[in-house]
Amino acid sequence: MSDVALDPLTLTVIWKNVLSIAEEIGITLRHTAYSEGVREGDDFSSAVFDARGRLVSQGPFSPGHLGSFPYVVRAVLDDWFPGESLRPGDAVLLNDSAIGTGHFPDTMLIMPVFLDGRRIGFVCNSAHQVDMGGAAPGSQKVQGVTEAYQEGLRILPIRFVRDGKIDEDLLRVVLGNVRMPDKVQGDLIAQHSANCSAAVRLERLFRDYGTATVERVYDEMMVRSEAAMRAALAKVPAGTYSGEDFLDDYGPDTPPVRIAIDITFDGLGGVTLDYSRSSDQVPAGLNSYLNFTRAYAVFAIKVFCNALWPQNDGNLRPIKVVAREGSFFNPRFPAPSGGRAVLQVRVFDTINQALAGAMPERAMGAFSHWSNPNIGGIDDRTGRAFVMYDMALAGYGGRHDCDGPEGLSPVMNCSNIPVEVLETHNPILVRRLEFITNSGGAGKHRGGCGLRKDIELRNSTATLSLLGDRHKFDPRGLFGGEPGVRAETILNPDRNARSLPSKATLAMQRGDVVSLRLSGAGGYGPPAAREGQAIARDIADGYITAEHAKAKYGYGPGD
Amino acid sequence: MLRLAFDIGGTFTDCVLHDPATGVVHALKLPTTPADPAEGVLKGLDALLLQANATPGMIGAVLHATTIATNAVIERKGAATALITTRGFRDVLIIGRQKRYEIYDLFVDKAEPLIRRRHIHEVDERIGADGQVIDPLDAASVDRAIDAVLKGGAKSVAVALLHSYANPAHEQAIARRWAERALHIPVSISSDISPKYREYERTNTAVVNAYVRPVVDRYLARLQGSLKERGFRHELFIMQSNGGLVSPILARRYPVRILESGPAAGVLMASMIGASVGAEHVITFDMGGTTAKLGAVDGGVPAIAPSFEIDSVKYKKGSGLPISTPAIELLEIGAGGGSIASLEMGLITVGPESAGADPGPICYGRGGRRPTVTDANVVLGYIDPGYFNGGTMSLDAAAAAAGIAAHIGAPLGLATGDAAWGVHLVANSNMEHAMRLVSVERGRDPRHYAIVAFGGAGPLHAARLARAIGVPKVIVPVAAGVGSAVGLLRAAPRIDVTATRVLRLDSDVSPVIRDLYARLEARAGEELSLLGDAPGVIWTRYGYMRYAGQGFEIHVDLPGGPIGDDFAARAAQAFRDAYARKHGHRDDGAAVEAVDWVLVATLRRGSDERWRFAAADRKRRSRRSAWFPEAGGYTDVPVLSRAALAAAGALAGPAIVEDADSSVVVLPGDTVSVDPNGHVIIAIATGSH
Repeated sequence: MSDVALDPLTLTVIWKNVLSIAEEIGITLRHTAYSEGVREGDDFSSAVFDARGRLVSQGPFSPGHLGSFPYVVRAVLDDWFPGESLRPGDAVLLNDSAIGTGHFPDTMLIMPVFLDGRRIGFVCNSAHQVDMGGAAPGSQKVQGVTEAYQEGLRILPIRFVRDGKIDEDLLRVVLGNVRMPDKVQGDLIAQHSANCSAAVRLERLFRDYGTATVERVYDEMMVRSEAAMRAALAKVPAGTYSGEDFLDDYGPDTPPVRIAIDITFDGLGGVTLDYSRSSDQVPAGLNSYLNFTRAYAVFAIKVFCNALWPQNDGNLRPIKVVAREGSFFNPRFPAPSGGRAVLQVRVFDTINQALAGAMPERAMGAFSHWSNPNIGGIDDRTGRAFVMYDMALAGYGGRHDCDGPEGLSPVMNCSNIPVEVLETHNPILVRRLEFITNSGGAGKHRGGCGLRKDIELRNSTATLSLLGDRHKFDPRGLFGGEPGVRAETILNPDRNARSLPSKATLAMQRGDVVSLRLSGAGGYGPPAAREGQAIARDIADGYITAEHAKAKYGYGPGD
Repeated sequence: MLRLAFDIGGTFTDCVLHDPATGVVHALKLPTTPADPAEGVLKGLDALLLQANATPGMIGAVLHATTIATNAVIERKGAATALITTRGFRDVLIIGRQKRYEIYDLFVDKAEPLIRRRHIHEVDERIGADGQVIDPLDAASVDRAIDAVLKGGAKSVAVALLHSYANPAHEQAIARRWAERALHIPVSISSDISPKYREYERTNTAVVNAYVRPVVDRYLARLQGSLKERGFRHELFIMQSNGGLVSPILARRYPVRILESGPAAGVLMASMIGASVGAEHVITFDMGGTTAKLGAVDGGVPAIAPSFEIDSVKYKKGSGLPISTPAIELLEIGAGGGSIASLEMGLITVGPESAGADPGPICYGRGGRRPTVTDANVVLGYIDPGYFNGGTMSLDAAAAAAGIAAHIGAPLGLATGDAAWGVHLVANSNMEHAMRLVSVERGRDPRHYAIVAFGGAGPLHAARLARAIGVPKVIVPVAAGVGSAVGLLRAAPRIDVTATRVLRLDSDVSPVIRDLYARLEARAGEELSLLGDAPGVIWTRYGYMRYAGQGFEIHVDLPGGPIGDDFAARAAQAFRDAYARKHGHRDDGAAVEAVDWVLVATLRRGSDERWRFAAADRKRRSRRSAWFPEAGGYTDVPVLSRAALAAAGALAGPAIVEDADSSVVVLPGDTVSVDPNGHVIIAIATGSH
C-alpha cells in the first residue's frame, strides 16, 4: 500500500467518480444496443479495473456477472496477455464460456487505459448478443447440444481492437458465423464506443488526482468494502445451511438435475458456498461454468445479508465458491452451456431455502420460474432471418410482511418485450398475456400468480427453442406456505393439445400456438393465518376463485 | 394588453404580471391553498392588479401552470376509473414492464396501478401490427363490458386495445357506443390520447388521462367561471408538459398533457434568459429543497422527451408510472437544500432522503436533527443566516455547525469546516453525475453551453458544477424565485400530434410519409380550431428513429416544407447526423428505421422581449468569511447585492452576490457581473479544475 496521505473527502470523491465511470459505460451501451437481451433484459455489465486487474467498480447491471468479472480479467492477463503485451489502443474480445461469463452469447471487451505511456487500469463491458451462431437461433439451445462446439463461434481472448480501431478481418470472421450480423456488428461497435468514452474519464481522473492518490484510494476502497462485507456476514450465526432443489431435466426424456448447495458461515465474516453435491455435468446446453456459478452465489449472499454496496475486489474476498470439478456447477470444457440463464432463479431459490431458517425476514417463497423462448426462421414477408427473443416473467414468493408482487422480474432484472413490438418485428401473434387464476401458492402471504402467454406462428415454419422449468418440481412455500402451481407448456391448447417438455426444441408450422404457462410462486406462512379481507380482495380481483378460497383457506361467503 | 401568469406549486403560488409595452414585470409569491387551489390564484390576481394599478379589463391573456393533475395521481385522489381492453390482455396494466427499479434489491415492489384488476374488462376483437383487423369487434362483448364498468361505479373510463395506434377503428366504435349509452361518463381512448406503440405505456397514459380528467375538469371550470365573474374577458391558457400553451377545452379533454406544467415553464424561463444574454445553448439547473431538476435548451429550443414518469420512488427511473406524451426533458435527482447528509462506510453520502420544508434543515430551528446541504452551506458562509429569504427567516448557524460536527466531522476526524465542505462536495458530485448525463452523455458539448441556475440552492452550487463539467458561463436570472411563472410569459400555444408508424427509410417510403403527415395535419387542425384565435401557425416536424434493429430511438428534427420524393432519404440523413452527434459514431451502411412521427403546430405570438422587474433592489455591500479551498479555506470575501454589483461593474471571485431570493457563489479566478436586465453572469475561468 502506498504511503500517500489520504483524506476522507478525496476518498469520497474518487470513489464516487469510479462508480460513475463504470455506470456510464453501461448506460451508453444500453442506449446504443441492438440486442434485446441488452436493452430490455439488462443482460450486460460494465466495470473498471486497476492496473493489476483488480476490480475497482462495477456498474449496477446484470447480477449474472457480479462475482465473475474479476476472474475473467485475471485469466486474460495471466494466461493470454501477460506483462506489457497490451498496448495503448488495444482491446481484447472474448466469449469463451469457461474463461468468460459462462456462455457464448456474452461477448466481453476489455480495454487497457494508459496515462503518459503507463497503464493505469482497464475498462470493460460484456453484452448478451442476439446470436453467436451454433445449432439454433439465439445460441442457447439445450436439447441435443452435447458439446460447446455446437453452440456457435468460440472466441478465446483476441486483440480485437488495435490503434483504437476494430480489426476488420477479425470482425468479418465473427460476422460470418452469426445469424444476425448487422445486430452483432452494431453491438460490438457499441461495446467499443462505451469503453472509449470511459477511458477518457479514467485518464482525466488519474491526471487530476495523480496516480499515487487514486491507487491509494483504490486500496482503501477495497479494505473498507471487505470489512463491511465481513461485518455483514459475521451477523449470520455460524453453521452450515443446506438447500436442495431440482431442475426438471436437461432436455426431453432426461433425468432431473440436482442442485445442492451447502453454505457455511464461519461466524467471523467468511462464507463458503459449496455446490459439490449437485449433479455431474450434463450433455446438454445447460451447464454452469464456475464464473456463472460464482455470480449468482455472490448475488444471493448480498441480497440475504443486505450487503448491497457497490462491487469491488474487496467485498468479493470473504465469499468463497466451491464446486467439484466435472460437476454441473464446475464443468470441464467443452461442456455446453448456452441455456444456463435458466438456472439463475433456481440457484437463488435453493439458497433461499437453505438460509430461510437463519434469516426468515430475508427469505421468500420460491419464485415463479421464468421462460426464455426463442422463435426463429426466415420471415416469409421479407426473406430475412428473424429471431424472436422473448422473456416471460411472473410472480414473487410471499414475503414475511406482504404478498409476493405480481409480474415482477425475478433475480436477473429484465423488462418484458411489449407485445406490439414483438408483433411488429416478427411473424407472430400473441393471443393471450394474463395471470393464471388460483396459481399463486396459498399462505398467510400469498405467492404471486403464474402467467400465461400464448404465441401463434404466422409464418410457414419456424424453430422454437423452449427454455423453461418447474414442470416437475414444486415452487415451494416457506413456513407452512403452500407451493405455487407448476408450470406447463402446451402446443395448440385449442386443438390437439400436446404437452411439451420445458426445454424442447421443435419445428412450428403456420397457425401453431405455443402456450407458456409459468408456475405460480410459493406462499409464506400458513394459509389459515391469512386475513379474510385479503382473501375477499383476491376473489374480487379474480386472482383466486371462491372455490379456491373455500378449499385453501376455508373461506366462504359471510366470513 | 397586459399578460398575467401564475404557477401553482406544492408550497407556493407564483404570480407575475407583464406589460409588453413597457417591459415592466410585477411579481408576487403566495402560499398555495391545497384544499381549493383556485382560491389562491384568485387572491393573487387581486393583489397583483392592485400592485400594478390595473383592472381585469386590461388583461389580454391569463397563463397558468398547475400541479393539480400530478397531485391527483401522486395522492391517488383521481376519479374511480375503469379500463376496457382486448380479450386476453386484461393484465397489461398490472404486469407493466416488470423490471425492478433497484437491480440488487429483491424487496422492492412496482408502482401501484391506478386501477384494480376488478375494474378492467375485456372485449372480443384483435387488430394486427399492420392495422389489419384480425378479429372484428364483437358488439355484444362491448355492451357487456360497458355494463360491467357501470356496475363497478366508475366515474371515468379508458379504452386501450392492442395496436390501436395503427388502426383506431375499434376504440372509436367503443367510444361511440359508450356515448350512446352513458354520456355522463367521459371516455379516454388510447389512440386519441397517445397513438404510439408499446401497449403498457399507451394504456397507462390513457388510464392516467381518464383518472385525472374529472378533477381537472372541475378545477378549470371553477377557475374559468371565477375569472369571468371578475371581469376577465380574454383567454385562459394552460401550460402543457411540452412547453406549449393550450386552451381549457383541450386541457379538459387531454389533462394528461398538463402533468408537468410547472417544471416545463421553468425550462422556458431559462431559455428566455439565455436568449436575452446571447446564450442559445443552455443547461437548466433548478435546485430546490428536495430535488435538483436538469434540462437542456439547444439553439434556443428546449429539448423534448417522448415520455416521462410520474410518481417515481426516490427519482429512480422505472419506479413510476410512464406517461407517453411529449414533455420538456428533465432529469430529476434527490439532491436539494434539504437533502440529508450521513455516513456510510466512512464516506459522506447526501440524499435522496430529505428533511423537506418541515422539519427542514437543522438551521431552520423547526426540529430538524440531521444535517443537510443547507446546513453545510450556512457553515461554509455561502448563506447569510440573517438574510435568508430576504431576511424573512433567520437561521441558526450555531446549530447547523453543531449538527455537521456531530454527525460528520467527529466520526471522520474532520474540522467542522472541512466536514461541511465534504457535504457540499458530495452534493455537487451527485449533481455532476446527473449533469454529465444531460450534457456529455447526450452529445452536448459543455464548452458551448451556459448553465442557467435557479431555485433556492441552484446559484450556490452552479459555479463549481460548471467547472467540473467544463461549462464557461453561469447565469443566475433576476427573480429566480418566480422563474416558472416568468417562463409562462414566454410560452406560445402549441400542439404536438404523434403517430407510430415503423418504417425503414431505405426504400422509397416518401409517399407514405406524405400521407402520414397529411393525416397528422388534419388532426392538428381539429385541435387548433379548439385553441381559440389562431393568428398564424408555424409547423415543425420531428421524429424518433434508430438504426434498424436497435431498441432506443433518438429525437430527430425533420425537414419542413413540402414532402417530396427525397424526403425519406433526407430524414435518414438527418438521423445519421443526429446519431453521430449524440453517440460519437455513425454507420452509413446500416438501414434507418423511423418509429414515431410528430407534427408540431405553434401559434405565432408577438415579440415582447422587454423585461424590467418592478421590485427595486437596494445597493448593499459587506464582507464575510466563506469557505474557498482554492484560497486556503475560510476567506474574507466581498458580499454584494445585484444593484451594488451592477454599480461596481465586473468583480473577480472569490465573492458572493446575494439577494432576497438567491445567493450566488463566485469562485476564485472567475468573474461576475450583472447585465442590463439584472441577470447575474459568471464567466468561468476556462481550463481551471
